[in-house]
Amino acid sequence: MNDTLATIRKFIFDNFLFDAAEEDLGNDDSFLDQGIIDSTGVLELVEWLEDTFDIAVDDDELIPENLDSVNQLAAFINKKANPEP
Amino acid sequence: MLLQEYLYRTVRKTPDKEVLIYGENHISYGQLAAAAESIAFWINSLELEPGFRGALLTDDPFEYIAGYFGILIAGGVVVGLNSQTSVKSLQYHLDDCGASVLLAHKKFTRYFKPVVRKLNSIQGLAVTGPDPDLAWAGEIGQADLTELLDGKKAGSDSVAMSFRTSCDLAQIIYTSGTTGKPKGVMLRHSNLVANITSIVSYLHLSDKDRIMAVLPFFYVYGNSVMLTHIAVGGSLVVNQSFLYPNVILQQMVEHEVTGFSGVPSTFALLLNRSSLAKFSFPALRYLTQAGAAMSPALAVRLEKYFPGVAIYIMYGQTEASARLAYLEPSELHNRPGSIGKGIPGVCLSLLDQNGNAVPVGQTGEIVAQGENVMAGYWEQPEESAKVLRREGLWTGDLARQDEDGFFYVISRKSDIIKSGSHRIGPKEIEDTLAEHPAVHEAAVLGVADEILDERIRACIVLKDGCVCVEKELITHCRKELPAYKVPQEIQFFSELPKTATGKIKKTELKSL
Repeated sequence: MNDTLATIRKFIFDNFLFDAAEEDLGNDDSFLDQGIIDSTGVLELVEWLEDTFDIAVDDDELIPENLDSVNQLAAFINKKANPEP
Repeated sequence: MLLQEYLYRTVRKTPDKEVLIYGENHISYGQLAAAAESIAFWINSLELEPGFRGALLTDDPFEYIAGYFGILIAGGVVVGLNSQTSVKSLQYHLDDCGASVLLAHKKFTRYFKPVVRKLNSIQGLAVTGPDPDLAWAGEIGQADLTELLDGKKAGSDSVAMSFRTSCDLAQIIYTSGTTGKPKGVMLRHSNLVANITSIVSYLHLSDKDRIMAVLPFFYVYGNSVMLTHIAVGGSLVVNQSFLYPNVILQQMVEHEVTGFSGVPSTFALLLNRSSLAKFSFPALRYLTQAGAAMSPALAVRLEKYFPGVAIYIMYGQTEASARLAYLEPSELHNRPGSIGKGIPGVCLSLLDQNGNAVPVGQTGEIVAQGENVMAGYWEQPEESAKVLRREGLWTGDLARQDEDGFFYVISRKSDIIKSGSHRIGPKEIEDTLAEHPAVHEAAVLGVADEILDERIRACIVLKDGCVCVEKELITHCRKELPAYKVPQEIQFFSELPKTATGKIKKTELKSL
């Protein structure tokens, strides 16, 4: 899980926050409320998720509960990788 | 007529009616008017000259709309600023319009704090509370914007209305320039009222209408959506982030919206990255699209998901207070690719560069006449004179007309990039790239994109012996430019294709 969190944080910093300090982004901070990602950024994020974690994101799953913070992303990736039987 | 009279008209009739729904918030017309008057009361205490410029930097709809009408009631001119900004961009806009008042959400402090300190023109600053720490702002008038929105400011029920006429300026909206800095489009109360009257008539808007407002209010399209619905006493359901289309669709159903306005990328996102097929919208009456004509294929897809809903294609520009033409829904399939005809009160013609009408079927520039045409560009008389000529407003859009008088836009004379709901001038991005020490030459242009309509491509020639990668240039742009102006792709060249006179051939670069 820690590896996933670090991978997500690196992607967010590399693509949206650039030279911001590590403490500028908490793992529960909302990307929407903080103005970190715009609508095209969400599409980039989804493409990256699918490529990096080899998962398919359905249109139904494009909701803030899955994608709007580092922790929500990590939980979503975990859920996709380990679907409930 | 003044714009604020629209607000007062509904307050007198139905003060408890909802004007604004966003998140968990439901705001009535009475609350909105009280908040606007409270803001006006505070502004009046600053003793500014009528016609002062009041700027808005907030993505909170209640703050924005109350601030908008508060500035008008106090006799000012509204300057709604793009909340996707940078320190450099904000400084340019506030300085250019000589803003005296800034109403801002606290989340943008990192942008406005360094700018307000530098600019002498700012005499009043109101920031979202509670208790915003504005000690750094020194002697200028300060207020807690949240407190003002409560509408309980002592004495605000007797706010003195500044004397203004419909010929006075109501608003300045900044628009991208292709060759220079953004230009402030000056709109009088009468320009906006004329356009509102026309739009209300052809969209058949009434107080029963409830629009899903996803477009930002600081651009002219969103501004027009806001004003037309307030003018008829309708309601605005606002969610302007558009990060999660499914959330928008859910809100459309939940709040039984009757209308939805978007640009091509809005509809592309709905059709390609949402669960649209799983929703139905029994209350929805109409959709509007501006920014480009609609392809027949897209129209068919939209009609499948929105059966029985009228689809209006519209055309306009900031210089026309928003709207110049629209296509009746019944013509959507008969006139594929058309933007329709002039809206009521607007006369459109197609002229050659000498001002002569072009024959049917031939290409000319769209020139518009109507009460909605702007007063000019703020403090740029030469730029104003280039587009406001004897024949009317020269739009810069090349089009043809069919035998029945319907217009079809063919291309733009300018290099403006249409990306999502943004209109982006390439020059500012090229200048920013050229400031990077490794860059010899930069050309920026829009290339076709399935979702955005156009994405930004930067074509770069590096200085001899310099090494630089894409990420370094993107990071450089990120520091200097608002996010939506940062190129999505960078291509490196040993040299750029040019004409004999040295002009970069952007059309050639687009096709690479």
